[in-house]
Amino acid sequence: MSKLKLSGVSKAYGATLALRRGDLEVLAGEVHVLMGSNGSGKSTLCKIIAGSVRPDAGRILIDNRPVTITGPRSARAQGIGIFYQELSLAAHRSVEENICLAALPIKSHLFVDRALLKQRAARYIRLFEEVAGEGFSADALVGNLRPDQRQLVEIMKALASEAPILIFDEPTSALDRAQVDCFFEVLRDLTWQDRGIIFISHRMDEIKAIGDRVTIIRDGETITTLNLAETDAASVIRLMVGGSGDMPASQSSAPAIVEGKDGAAITVRNLSGRGFRNVSFEVAKGEILGFGGLHGQGQSALLRAIFGAGSISSGDVLIGDSRFDASSPRDAIRRGCAYVSGDRGREGVISGRPIIENVTPIHYLRDRLMIARPSKLRDKVVPALQSMHTKFQSLFDPINSLSGGNQQKVIIARWLVDRPDVLLLDDPTKGIDLSAKADLFALIRQLAAEGLGILLYSSEDAELLGNANRILVFNGGSVSRELTGADRTRYNLYQAAYEAA
Amino acid sequence: MAEITITPRTRAGGMRKLLERYPFLPALVIVVALLLLNGFFSPNSLSYRSLTGLLSTYMALVLLAIAQTYVIYAGDIDLSAGAILSLVNVAIVVLMERWGGGAGAVLLALALGLLLGLACGLLNGIVVAALRLQAIVATFATSIFFTGFALYILPVAGTPAPALFWRTYGGRLLGVPFVFYILAGLVVLLLVLSRTRLVTQLLAVGDDQQAAFQSGLPVVPIRIKGYLLSGLFSALAAFCITGDTASGDPLVGGKMTLYSVAAVVLGGSALSGGWGTVVGSLLGALTIGLINSVVFFMGTPSEWQNFVQGLAILVVLMAGVLAGRRARA
Amino acid sequence: MSRILFFMRQPLVVAFVLIALLLYLGQTLSPGFASGGQVLRLLIVASLLGIVAAGQNVVILGGREGIDLSVGGVVSLSAIIAGNVMNGADSGIVPAILACLAAGAFFGLLNGLGVTLLRIPPLVMTLGMLGVLQGLLVVIRMGIPSGRAAPGLSGFVTQPLAAGIPGIIWLWIMIGVLMAFMLHRTVFGHRIYAIGSNEHAAYMAGVPVRLMRIALFMTSGMFAAIAGLCLLGYAGSSFANVGEQYTLASIIAVVFGGTSLAGGKGGYTGTMAGAILLVILQSILTTVNIDESGRQMVFGATLLLLMMFYGRGRAMRA
Repeated sequence: MSKLKLSGVSKAYGATLALRRGDLEVLAGEVHVLMGSNGSGKSTLCKIIAGSVRPDAGRILIDNRPVTITGPRSARAQGIGIFYQELSLAAHRSVEENICLAALPIKSHLFVDRALLKQRAARYIRLFEEVAGEGFSADALVGNLRPDQRQLVEIMKALASEAPILIFDEPTSALDRAQVDCFFEVLRDLTWQDRGIIFISHRMDEIKAIGDRVTIIRDGETITTLNLAETDAASVIRLMVGGSGDMPASQSSAPAIVEGKDGAAITVRNLSGRGFRNVSFEVAKGEILGFGGLHGQGQSALLRAIFGAGSISSGDVLIGDSRFDASSPRDAIRRGCAYVSGDRGREGVISGRPIIENVTPIHYLRDRLMIARPSKLRDKVVPALQSMHTKFQSLFDPINSLSGGNQQKVIIARWLVDRPDVLLLDDPTKGIDLSAKADLFALIRQLAAEGLGILLYSSEDAELLGNANRILVFNGGSVSRELTGADRTRYNLYQAAYEAA
Repeated sequence: MAEITITPRTRAGGMRKLLERYPFLPALVIVVALLLLNGFFSPNSLSYRSLTGLLSTYMALVLLAIAQTYVIYAGDIDLSAGAILSLVNVAIVVLMERWGGGAGAVLLALALGLLLGLACGLLNGIVVAALRLQAIVATFATSIFFTGFALYILPVAGTPAPALFWRTYGGRLLGVPFVFYILAGLVVLLLVLSRTRLVTQLLAVGDDQQAAFQSGLPVVPIRIKGYLLSGLFSALAAFCITGDTASGDPLVGGKMTLYSVAAVVLGGSALSGGWGTVVGSLLGALTIGLINSVVFFMGTPSEWQNFVQGLAILVVLMAGVLAGRRARA
Repeated sequence: MSRILFFMRQPLVVAFVLIALLLYLGQTLSPGFASGGQVLRLLIVASLLGIVAAGQNVVILGGREGIDLSVGGVVSLSAIIAGNVMNGADSGIVPAILACLAAGAFFGLLNGLGVTLLRIPPLVMTLGMLGVLQGLLVVIRMGIPSGRAAPGLSGFVTQPLAAGIPGIIWLWIMIGVLMAFMLHRTVFGHRIYAIGSNEHAAYMAGVPVRLMRIALFMTSGMFAAIAGLCLLGYAGSSFANVGEQYTLASIIAVVFGGTSLAGGKGGYTGTMAGAILLVILQSILTTVNIDESGRQMVFGATLLLLMMFYGRGRAMRA
């Protein structure tokens, strides 16, 4: 039975077409996966269903009845609940208030019914009790929670809508495996209640584990809908990227161990700080050192601390042979350190500004420039962008006009004008599409070949296995295991990540 | 399951927990300290009589600060609060006078004054929330409009309020000064309001407006209701100023707007919205009053009084911000 | 067609169209309103506001709720300092300029330190500073006479300097050119936009965010000081709280110029147009024969109406 049907839905923002023709049919009792590279229109489609984006054209049917959705409230009233990728939480409100925010229970027409609110929220908190982790409670302020816990609250909030149609737009990106497993159990329960579920994730293994059918969107158009049981990862990816669709570089064979003959690019000795402790390693020039493990085990904290944006309490960092303790990113950049964050919206993109101004800040600093002459800068900026195969119309277009993957390429290009010695990559491919990933890893390998020392943290095991010469597995803030050579297998990585439990 | 031992923030300390629960504590400490200072320089200033006088003088600012708090909850600001106060002040004084100054006239004028305050709040709410003008500049523009309207009603200050009105405000009922009844009524009103759904919704909107909208909250009506509350409390503040000064003045509230914002910040509320308490604002307004009286009782030379007051307010403003942040951090 | 619509929605274009309309309206209501001499007089008044707004503009562009409510206090203070330092003598002009700039920079520095080191929201910090400045004005006024402008300064502000145009208007044009160059062709300018658009990303890209922000508040203080000096030249002598009106007027001029209060978006050319627009509007209202209350009501309502053309927030449902 069809729960939700969209046909010919489109949306344009000015001249940019976000969604050309979205078609989708979700059946009762199924988990329907939406797949497509970033910027293909998945999120726009979801937001149109949830009422927070106004469509330009198209029809929406719920239970075979045509409906008009005028906003998030109307969507809720018609039985649609949504998990927003960027979350929709109030940081200074408690977990239980957030869960019930959309429909605060009231008494005497005016007052919040605290008892009922508690009781209602507890129902959803209980589902994740086992995996929510330390510091999670009904009355904790959401702003004090870890990213994965916040994501759980957003999941509970979506569940609390008790809507027959539920949309989950990348609900697992910050969750660890135990949390994901628990969430999938909940989802299976929901499908037995005949609800229709839309699910978005970039992780192939998750999609195989939970999905029934998949709809593939490319360049704002629905390509096809397939039964997941009758297809394989390779063909789905081919459909997503279109054309011949080579497998991304991250899937190819792992590079061999680099001999440290050129000396160390960066050395870290007994380094401790907020979020990590007693970490030691050495990265040779030309080596890619991978950081693995569950998320939030100190990998990001360590990279940020080296870059001068975190705290170091003891230990040494050496770049080449000289001691290096950056007190700020500015300091680190001057000493030849580069850092790329996966959280490009917060830490990378200077939103609303031209592409060229997004590339030049590092060059300004390292060359101590005062005057910015566009003609001169262009000669430096264009080659850097081209080496990443960045697609753009004009250097003076705002960066927001690019897709997520291309934005990340611009952010990386800013480090290529003046070459750094050490490149710190903090989950750099988070939320970017496969072809951009391929370009990115090709570049990273080339940079390594040119003698840079590279630290790569990735939340996707395949990226580590496919690109790192060695992998340090983090657990509880320290390195629990080092994987080299033939030990670099998916099995070992899993096992090392979980072994402290 | 891996045991996750690393948390991004250390466990909440006892002090922080306390601040998280009672964000107005620093303001309370400042108020007590200022009271002690007052008593030190002039023991007489702590007398029942002086405190009553202080309260009846600063009750208007207290109410105006509370008016400001509800819009700041939602991340908005109301730079017209003082102008609404002036407008309601002249409106009720003129009406009371015209209708003869009897009890009936006073009550009717007060009722109309409340409606006028609500109407001003509604206008603010419409231009800021529905028409999406920037709150700072839009409410500044409406404040000019309201001031013009006040000048139209009463071009020059001076029309006296009926004796019945200001005698009641400054007098006693059953041996207890009338302002204490106002204070008690206010406390009850604030308690009731704090339990309403509206306050939680205002705070959620102030936290993240887009998120609140996407969650399905009716953001525009909620913000308009915030401005309605602001208009209502500005009108109540006008009643108190009328009781205190016993006359109408079309410009009386002009200087008070910025003080009301300062009082909210002193009370530990976040100007960016989503976090705060009305009790803090109440204490913040009293802080401003007490600073003025301490500076006076200290025997500061008259030409230096404004400067010392300004400096002291700047310092406690900083303290309010820093303490508020500690509670939220 | 869509191109024309796009063009028509540029804040700068809107401002100039409105300026032309208002001039026409003024001429209709009171013949001679748009005459050359009258327009020059308006431009002198606008340049005073425009110079204050230049500082306000950079603080707002720098983002993080950047705003400077203390500019009015600095304008008044600077006028008093200048009056006393020069006290009617041309030889005192240069020392007066230096003293005013130093005072403006000093209070800007205090604002900047409070905003960056103590992380006080700019609205609160500069509001508190305004209180301090107003107190300081009382102290100074009690102690010393208010002082007079030097003839050279008055001439610079009110008499034609070159091409029949007073020096202050030339100064304003120069400031406009310098601001445009600074914002679009210098690293400093690009960094202002960077911290205004995404402070954290700018920090991670090596922009000295704190130093930048302190510099912006100092710039604002110094522009306000220059305006205070010129205001003394315009009025001849300083009087109580002469600068008070500039605080919110400068913010409105910036908004009318198309700069977003959220930071990172806008420029100074629009602000100049915004300042002119505001001054013409006030001037028309003083021309027509209505009493103060009507004038204020019309002014407030017109401001609201004009705001409908500018920087309305985005609809939540895109």
